[in-house]
Amino acid sequence: MRVIIFTWEFPPRITGQLAYYVNRLAAELVKKNVDVYVVTYNDSWTGFHQGADGIKAYRIADKVQPHINILTWMLSLNQEAERVAADIYYSTKHELDVIDVHDWHFVPAAVTLKKALRIPYVFSIDSIEPHRSRNSGAPLSSSIRSMESLGLSEAARILVKSEWMKQELKRYYNTSDDVVDVVSPDAGSWMNRILGAYQRRWGVPVNWTDFFES
Amino acid sequence: MGGACQLDRLLRVVMLSWEFPPRTVGGIAAHLFNLSRELVKLGVETRIVTCDFPGAPESEVVNGAHVLRVDSYKTPSPDFATWDSLMNVNMQKETAALISSFGGQVDIIHAHDWLVANAALGLKHVFRIPLVSTIHSTEIGRRNGLHTDYERMIHQTENWLAHESWRVVCCSHYMSGQVRWAFGLPEERVTVIPNGVDVSVYEKDFDRAEFRKRFALPEEKIVLFVGRLVYEKGVQILVSAMPKILSRVNAKFVVVGDGGMRDSLMRQVANMRLTHRIVSTGFLDEESLRKLYQVADVCVVPSLYEPFGITALEAMAAKTPLVASNTGGLSEIVEHDNTGTKVSPGNADSVAWGVTRVLLDPGYASWIKLNAYQKALHVYDWAKIAKQTKEFYEQILKEYDKGSWKPT
Repeated sequence: MRVIIFTWEFPPRITGQLAYYVNRLAAELVKKNVDVYVVTYNDSWTGFHQGADGIKAYRIADKVQPHINILTWMLSLNQEAERVAADIYYSTKHELDVIDVHDWHFVPAAVTLKKALRIPYVFSIDSIEPHRSRNSGAPLSSSIRSMESLGLSEAARILVKSEWMKQELKRYYNTSDDVVDVVSPDAGSWMNRILGAYQRRWGVPVNWTDFFES
Repeated sequence: MGGACQLDRLLRVVMLSWEFPPRTVGGIAAHLFNLSRELVKLGVETRIVTCDFPGAPESEVVNGAHVLRVDSYKTPSPDFATWDSLMNVNMQKETAALISSFGGQVDIIHAHDWLVANAALGLKHVFRIPLVSTIHSTEIGRRNGLHTDYERMIHQTENWLAHESWRVVCCSHYMSGQVRWAFGLPEERVTVIPNGVDVSVYEKDFDRAEFRKRFALPEEKIVLFVGRLVYEKGVQILVSAMPKILSRVNAKFVVVGDGGMRDSLMRQVANMRLTHRIVSTGFLDEESLRKLYQVADVCVVPSLYEPFGITALEAMAAKTPLVASNTGGLSEIVEHDNTGTKVSPGNADSVAWGVTRVLLDPGYASWIKLNAYQKALHVYDWAKIAKQTKEFYEQILKEYDKGSWKPT
C-alpha cells in the first residue's frame, strides 16, 4: 500500500501537537510495510528527505511571498502539494492508494487529485475552525469553514480521535455518522483502525488479515 | 500540424478565465469570446471554464466553444484577492473533473491573467499538460509600482504563473517588454499575438442623425472617450483640454464608462463652468456603444498606461478618427499622421492640439480614419489571430512531445 500524508506541520516544523501525531503515524505505517510519503510545508528546508525511520518527506515552500492572510498563503501552497503528489503518482506508475489529509490546509489539493487522478482521500480531523475561532462568523473564519466543509463532503472516510469530535462534526457540519471512524491514538487497535479506514477508501469491506502478516 | 504531434482527434484546449460574456469586467471577456469563436472555426476544440453569472447557464455552447460556469464562491470573503483564491478552488476542482472526463486527453491549458493562476498551475502538474498564459496586464503596471503586500502578492503570483508557463502570450510588444522586465523572463519564452477587432459589428445601418440627437446638438462635434474612469486611462487630461478645444470648435464631450474618478471629474468640469458641454453616460450597452463610435467625430484615448488599447482598435474598426497617447500598446497600433494622431501622454495641450487638428481638417480626418480601418481589417482580424494562436499551440505540442515530462 502506498500513502501520501498531507500535513502543514511535521518535525522540525512544530506549531501544535499535530506534528508529533503525524510523525508517530507515519513511523508506525512504515513498520506495517506501507510506503509512506509525507508532503508538508517548510520554508527553509525544502525538497526530499528520507530519515532513519523510513519516512519519505517532501517539504514544500510557497512560491508566492508575501501573503495577506493564511488563506491566500495556503491556497497557493496547495499547488505545490499537487505538484509533488503528482510527481509521486507518475514516478510510481500511478500506484498510489490513498491520501491522508490532516486538517483543512491541503483539502483543495486532495479534492483536485481525487477528481483528476481518481486517488481517494481520508480526512483526518485534529481540530476544526468553529472551535479555533470560537464560532466566529468573520469572513476569514467562514472561508476556512467552507474549506473544512468541502473536505468533509468529498472524503472517502473521516477520521476523528474521539467520540466527542464526531458529535461536534455532526453539530457544525451535519456530518453523517456512517462516514466517520473514531480512532483514538491511545487505543491498542489504533494502527489497525487507521489501515482499515485506508482500506475502505472505495467503500469495500476490510480484510483484516492483510494487516497482521507483517 | 507538424509530424511530431499528429493527433487522431481535434486539438483540445481548456481556457481558464474569470470573465466570459455575459460576465464582462475588463477586456478578457471580449478577447476570449472572439478568440474562441475563431479557434473553433480552425478545428480547435475549445473549452472555456469561467465564473458563474446571474441568469447565464452553467453549461452552454457559444459559437461552437463549450463554456462551463463554476460556482464563483459567494460566501463573504475578506477581500478581492482572498475571494479569488477561493474561487480558484472551485475552478480547479471542476476543471479537474472536466479534463478527467476526457481521460486527461487535453493538449493545452491556457490561463488568462493571475486571477486563474492557482487553478491553472495545479492542473498543469496534476495532468502534466503544457500550460500557456496570456498576461493581459501586470500589477506593477496597473499600480505604477508595488506599494503594499497586497500588490506584491499579486505581482509574485503573476511572476509564478509566467515562470511556470511553457510560454507567455502578450498582446503587444510593449507588454512583452514589460513582462520580460518585471519577471526576468527570457525573450524566447514570450510570444506576441495581438488583440483583434471584429469590423463587421460596425457595418449595420441605422438612423445616424436620430441616434446622434441623444448626445449632442446637430451643430456640435462629438468628442468621444470610452474607458474606465480611473487615473491610468487619462480621462482627466481630456477634461483639462476641454477649454482649449472649445475655444476653437463647437463640441460635445461624451464620456462612456464608470469608475472611482467620476465625481471628481464632474467637479472639475463644473469648476470650469462646462457642465453643459459634457455627457457622462456611465456603462453603455454594446449596441449603443457601437453606434456612438460611428457618429462620433473623434475618439480620444488619452491613457497614461495602456498595455494594449482595445478602445483604439474599436474606433479604427468603426471608422472614427483617432487621437491617442504615444504610450504602451497604443504606440504600436497608431502610426502618427497615418492611422491616427499621436499626442504626448499626460499633456492636455497636446491632447487639445490633436483633437482640434482632427476636427478642423476633414481631409486629414478622413485620411487617418480610412487607413486605420484598413489596418483593423487586415492586421487585427480575429481569424488571423486565431491562426497564429493555433500555430503557437502546435509549436508547443511539438516541444512537449520531445520531452520526458509527458506522462506515459
